[in-house]
Amino acid sequence: NQGLGMEVRAPGSARGTSKRRIPVSQPGMADPHQLFDDTSSAQSRGYGAQRAPGDLSYPAASATPQAAFLADPVSNMAMAYGSSLAAQGKELVDKNIDRFIPVTKLKYYFAVDTMYVGRKLGLLFFPYLHQDWEVQYQQDTPVAPRFDVNAPDLYIPAMAFITYVLVAGLALGTQDRFSPDLLGLQASSALAWLTLEVLAILLSLYLVTVNTDLTTIDLVAFLGYKYVGMIGGVLMGLLFGKIGYYLVLGWCCVSIFVFMIRTLRLKILAEAAAEGVPVREARNQLRMYLTMAVAAAQPLLMYWLTFHLVR
Amino acid sequence: LGIHFDHIWQKTLTVLNPMKPADGSIMNETDLTGPILFCVALGATLLLAGKVQFGYVYGLSAIGCLVIHALLNLMSSSGVSYGCVASVLGYCLLPMVILSGCAMFFSLQGTFGIVSSLVIIGWCSLSASKIFISALDMEGQQLLVAYPCALLYGLFALLTIF
Repeated sequence: NQGLGMEVRAPGSARGTSKRRIPVSQPGMADPHQLFDDTSSAQSRGYGAQRAPGDLSYPAASATPQAAFLADPVSNMAMAYGSSLAAQGKELVDKNIDRFIPVTKLKYYFAVDTMYVGRKLGLLFFPYLHQDWEVQYQQDTPVAPRFDVNAPDLYIPAMAFITYVLVAGLALGTQDRFSPDLLGLQASSALAWLTLEVLAILLSLYLVTVNTDLTTIDLVAFLGYKYVGMIGGVLMGLLFGKIGYYLVLGWCCVSIFVFMIRTLRLKILAEAAAEGVPVREARNQLRMYLTMAVAAAQPLLMYWLTFHLVR
Repeated sequence: LGIHFDHIWQKTLTVLNPMKPADGSIMNETDLTGPILFCVALGATLLLAGKVQFGYVYGLSAIGCLVIHALLNLMSSSGVSYGCVASVLGYCLLPMVILSGCAMFFSLQGTFGIVSSLVIIGWCSLSASKIFISALDMEGQQLLVAYPCALLYGLFALLTIF
């Protein structure tokens, strides 16, 4: 085997050619990530003999055409190593993404169908006739949005947000104030306001020591529903001028106010509202004020984020 | 090279006929040859119409594919791979290439241009959503999938018109 000894040596020996990487495994050990077969052992002798022509021609490999490079078993193994490394990297990314973004919990909020979206949009524009706002439960977990129109979802807020950014771009375009970075500015400012709102409400819920089952994602979903009204207002403003904008925005503001009050009342004032007991104690009154404040903030933000788009 | 011309042709026919229900198995192999061809064709027709906007086309398609990939993973019970999403969206770009081909000959900023671009956007998003729901077995969600696709193709149409 001495004639082939220049390819692979036990670790620690001096390198022969500079183009080879250093082998790291012991002779005879089958390491899946090993770049080379260890030809100093008897089993791989046949393989080693096969590789000798490729090895000896290695210094001249740079002069030979690319086909020889691809047929070289070394590069095959390098590709196998690279693809296993990529697969490991992908696993790592998937595992870590699951830690930061709870994908299975998010899937609940996207389990919607067209009928649900239609009914929910109707509810957002006209919540006055709907009687029962309670979310149905099925063995202690809330039922998916597909089956209950009262359940919060994230499809409508997400789509409404994206549509709002695009409609804002359209509105700025018709006023000749459009540029792509302005679109990015709109998007990030709307996102910043949303984050601020969520944080403010979470903080006040914490300070008032309310025990609710209102999760952060639920809150984001509820706060995202106002974008639907904003889109309606801006579109009407584009078609019919300021009068149309004010009319539609006024209607949507009142609807969102009523919608938020009725939905949040069940979540925040859970015990009192469930029995229909009038609110007397200080703690319940504080909760009621909090609900009213959240609901009142919605129309204000709706106006604030859209009035500069309609001239 | 693994390019099967009959598969490409079959998928193109599925796109061109949005009313016919699609077969769920056509998306089993992810093939990016057709989509890349259509993207380059779109860039070429835009160039011939006088707008050098390759960067926007590629950037927009990358971001749009990412968003729709995330959305479909969340909405469907079985996940999708990024390549599958890119492949379907690329195939359904074909009517948009037709639109920008027309833009070479007459300007699209009049009423006829707006109406025809709306029709083309509807065509693209209907066929994309049809392929997605048949490949992913999602029921009752065709319009929900069609809406984000319509937004994406609407942006492409904006590039074509303005």
